[in-house]
Amino acid sequence: MIDFIILGIVVGISYGLLALPLSLLFIATGTVDFALGAYAVVAGLVCFLVGGELGIAAGVLSATLAAGIVGVISRLLDHKRRADHLTLVLASFGFAIFLESLVLSTYGEQPFVRHSFVDYWDIAGVRVSPQAGIDLAAALVVLSATFALLYATPVGRMMRASAINPLGAILTGIPVQWMRALTFVFAGLLAGVAGVLYLYTSGLSYSSGMHLALSGFGAAIIFGLKSPLRAFLGGIAIGLVEALSNGYLPSHVATVVPLIFIFIVLILQGTSRTLSGGRA
Amino acid sequence: MSEKWSPLIVLVLAGVAAILMGSGAAWLSTSTLIAIYSLLALSVGLTYGQGGILSVAQGAFASIGAYTTGILTTRYGISPFFTLPIAVLLPMIIAFPVARLVSPLSPLVLAIATLMFATIVEILLRSGGDLTGGFLGLSGIPPLFAAQTPVTFNLIAWLAVVVVVFLYTNLMNSAWGRAINTVRHDSVRAVADGTNVARIQSLIFGLGAGIAGLAGWLYAHQLSFISPDLFGIPVSINAILMAVVGGAGVILGPVLGAVTLSLFYEFLPGQEARGMFYGAALILTLVVAPSGLLGFVRRRRPSKRSQSLKSASVLVSEKAFP
Repeated sequence: MIDFIILGIVVGISYGLLALPLSLLFIATGTVDFALGAYAVVAGLVCFLVGGELGIAAGVLSATLAAGIVGVISRLLDHKRRADHLTLVLASFGFAIFLESLVLSTYGEQPFVRHSFVDYWDIAGVRVSPQAGIDLAAALVVLSATFALLYATPVGRMMRASAINPLGAILTGIPVQWMRALTFVFAGLLAGVAGVLYLYTSGLSYSSGMHLALSGFGAAIIFGLKSPLRAFLGGIAIGLVEALSNGYLPSHVATVVPLIFIFIVLILQGTSRTLSGGRA
Repeated sequence: MSEKWSPLIVLVLAGVAAILMGSGAAWLSTSTLIAIYSLLALSVGLTYGQGGILSVAQGAFASIGAYTTGILTTRYGISPFFTLPIAVLLPMIIAFPVARLVSPLSPLVLAIATLMFATIVEILLRSGGDLTGGFLGLSGIPPLFAAQTPVTFNLIAWLAVVVVVFLYTNLMNSAWGRAINTVRHDSVRAVADGTNVARIQSLIFGLGAGIAGLAGWLYAHQLSFISPDLFGIPVSINAILMAVVGGAGVILGPVLGAVTLSLFYEFLPGQEARGMFYGAALILTLVVAPSGLLGFVRRRRPSKRSQSLKSASVLVSEKAFP
């Protein structure tokens, strides 16, 4: 039992890492960027190719730049005034396809991974790579940084205001468009951090972006998109459900259980809004 | 031009294309694939463009249709024409309760819920053991009739598109169609008008699933082989992109989108770099024409009727998709 829980938390952290920027984007712009998984892949690849400490910085930077492009696209879509939030979601799908193909044509199909630890920790009989500890620490740092940014700085207040009531925010002199662009870039930064951690944890390949984005979104949405902390905990919850069902149920049932779990939580949100904390 | 002529336009264009293609095998298979994708995109056009429900499960419903006919024809030797109504009705019957469950959700959450549903369907098909053939899928699905050639099948596929476009046009010109549009535009107002919103939403979701089931039926009999990932999530997303690029709110939009994107993809240079052109073209279309190619044309050249309507309601702000 305890070993599956530890395993679940380790997997859950990696889901939570992408759930965090997704939730941040939703809070500040009211929309979702499905190319986040692709930024993580780009960050991982750049980090892998450059190598060393410089590689980590280069990886995070490349993801931030890629996110900046989507920020510009969102600005262009807003300019048209007719676009709704779903149009940006579809455009971000387009950008994810673009990045996936870019990674495929520059690097190829083989996965890229890097292990920096030879010794493993032994927690309650489970071999856990110390990398999981680094992931958890990084996740907590990123989480607190996000909270500090959103709820303790003027920029964060402006971000939240632009999301809740764009017109009102414009009237009080908040540069709403800049706030939105800034949020995209910041989410890209977080996705870049996640991508570098993935590279050192379980590795990435050109096609993992969409899967990462979808599982991150599933994680972010179950406890409500409106809080980064809930999004992160959602990731851990899904990791736990996945590990426990893998441990105790026959394999073909086990793969369905986490999905049914998300589906049921979503349906429950539709009937009672208490779980989600307002409409997500 | 009025949308009443939509089915005729498809009929004429598909006929001309069929004559021009003759019996070139590569062209025919592309054309048939476009017809099947048109059906999937039309189902998105109905549920999303008209009803405002963004469903990522259309591929799953097509899968259900394909497996229905696959299982019935290979295991029980039933004629493909008898399985057609079942392949259309079963996805509808499954879609109704799903629609009841997901329709109260907000648009983004609803999309994710349908995505989860689609993944669950895919996993169930994969773990269905002997009935669904597991990972390998089903093979040896018979052709529609003994003398089936690529030419006749291409015609049948496009005929199916014409029939669907005809029924779709009729639906949208009826009181039901107006109710559907009102629900999308303002559901509170629809309630005030005496429309049963939940029932209308289940109806469009179900009809969309039926169209997707038809696409699955066709594809199963073209390929003679089906597997769980044949209509996976990427196919559903592609169908949505086709509908949006062509113009989800216009009846012929999804068909145009399916033709444009399929041909575009077919003629793109390079294997690996293909996605870059595809993705870039997609973003460009969305930026230049957020309401799709046909929506763009319609907005640039408004018909006399809509012009007079516009002058009458200058103060009413326009919304593409609320």
